[in-house]
This record gives sequence, C-alpha cells and structure tokens, in this order.
Amino acid sequence: MNRSVLLIGIVIAAALVAILFMGLGKNPAEIRSPLVGKPAPVFALREVGTNRTVDITQYRGKPLVVNFWATWCGPCWEEHPILVANARMYADSASFLGVVFQDKEDKILSFLQQRGSSYPTVVDDAGKTAIAYGVGGVPETYFIDAQGVIVAKHNGPMTPDILRENLQKVLPQ
Amino acid sequence: MTLAVLLLLFQLKVPDAAQFVGAPQGTPITGAVLETRTNEIGHLLRCPVCQGMAVSDSPAEMAVNMKGQVRELLARGYTEEQILRYFELSYGEFVLLSPKKEGVTGMVWVLPVLALLIGAVVVFFKFRKLEQALPAATPAAAPALEDPYLARVRDMVGGDKP
Repeated sequence: MNRSVLLIGIVIAAALVAILFMGLGKNPAEIRSPLVGKPAPVFALREVGTNRTVDITQYRGKPLVVNFWATWCGPCWEEHPILVANARMYADSASFLGVVFQDKEDKILSFLQQRGSSYPTVVDDAGKTAIAYGVGGVPETYFIDAQGVIVAKHNGPMTPDILRENLQKVLPQ
Repeated sequence: MTLAVLLLLFQLKVPDAAQFVGAPQGTPITGAVLETRTNEIGHLLRCPVCQGMAVSDSPAEMAVNMKGQVRELLARGYTEEQILRYFELSYGEFVLLSPKKEGVTGMVWVLPVLALLIGAVVVFFKFRKLEQALPAATPAAAPALEDPYLARVRDMVGGDKP
C-alpha cells in the first residue's frame, strides 16, 4: 500500500512540475491573441490635434502596423523612435498608425512635437477600440495584412528585430 | 457646435460588438436594474491591468472603461452570455474570472470532484474491510467474565448465580 501511495504521489508531483515548467518557459510578451487570424476590428477615430477622421479600412490593400500607446508609458517612449524610423523605412510597403488611449490630448501633441512622428496618431477616448483589440497594457502592437486580417500581436516595447520579424509576416513575399 | 465637428462626430466609428457576437439577443434594460446587472457582469470579468481583480472592484481606468462597455451593451439588449463572449473574443479566456466548464479548463471543475469521489470510494472500502475483520475479534476481546472475588463469595455463601 505504501509503495502504491508513493507511486501515485510521484506521478502527481511530476505532472505538476511539468505544467509549471511549461508555463514558466513561455515568453509573456508572446501571449497569443484570440484575434490573430481574424479580421481586425473596424474603427474610425479622430487624428490627434485635428478634426480629421482616420478610418482603418482606408489602409486595406497594404499591410498596417497598429501601435497602442500612451505618453505616461515608459516603454512607449523607448519604442517611439524605432517605430518612427521604421515607418519611414517601410513607407512604400506598409502603413503605421498610432492609437492613444487613457491620455490627454495636450500631452500627446506635446510628446509628438518634441519627439517627432512619421505616421498618424488617433485618440481612443473611451478606450472602446483598445477593448475590442484586447489591449491589456501599453504598448501593444498589431500587425495587419493587406486584407485586413490580424497576423501577429506583440506585447511590450518594440525592438528593431521584433518589428522586422513581425513585418515579414505581413509584407508580400 | 460647428459643421466640421458635427461631420467628424458622424464619421467616428468604434468597433461594434455586433462584429463579434451578432445582434443583441436580449431586452434592453435601464435604471437601477442596469446598474445591478453591470456590477454583476463586472464581477465575472478580470481587469487586465490589475492583479486578479474583477472589473467591478477595480478603480483602474481600463476597468472603468470595460465596465462602461458592459453597461452600454446591456442597455442595447445584449445578454450576459453575449457580453462575456465579446470580451473573451478580444482578450481570450484569461478575461473570465471563472474558468469555462469545457475543454482543458473544464479539468479545473472535474478534477476536484473526481478526487473527492475516488477518496470516498477508498474510505468506503477501507471501512468495509475493517467491519469484516471486527466480528472475529469481538468474542475474544470482550469476554463477559464474572469477577473471581465475587464468584468465590457466592460459592462460600452457597448462593445461585444471577
């Protein structure tokens, strides 16, 4: 009896350790979004500092990088120059769009004036667009193909390598 | 309000729940009932920026926005099931505070009950085994012997046994 109890204990402990190991081995920035493989939720939001509306459907036919960010988010400051530089570099093959939520318009404008920009930034006032995209915390970046389907999502600050790697998934081969 | 602003408001569009879960399948609600139901559903949703807190309990702006979204969907006639599905389709099952009773997460509900049942069966058979062993041991364990001193006194006085 004692031997069988020990055996059962070992089996249960091994299963728990395996589950723990699998969980710890995952990269938290690579949490798969249920939206990957699905059409990107459609929105048309006001461009910051203007009365111009930017409609996501106007980007169809060209890959689109949608970056959710805010001025109070430290990692967003880090990734901003990378996004601006790559938006210029890939201007012919992909579009970039910034979506700011939980922020103040004057702060966004001041940030963009000081640090520059190479693509439009829209304001998600009530955070409804962020909720529809499943945004938990900023920055989060979505890679949408020319047909308007979400192909990849990255949680956390963007690096040139991560950006390039994900852009390859949406750019025409 | 200028014409330009009016035009802008007309053009603005946020993602609609109908894109995810179709048309409302319930009845629109208002007033106190709306607030009560908003809180109830908010307790079933996890605030994504908090540590295991429900949307209804968190003061975070994200949770406030999510609660606002729940309120709006209820007011439009969406059912609890549709609202939970809407958030699950955006955030994944992570956003539901109670794991679903199906698939891999269904194990969370099944395993404790299964473990309890197995435990009950083991205890039952153990008790039955003990019960079977008890009758054989009873006669030897409890001999109804008369006190020898009392028996000797009874013999001496020539009395009968009771």
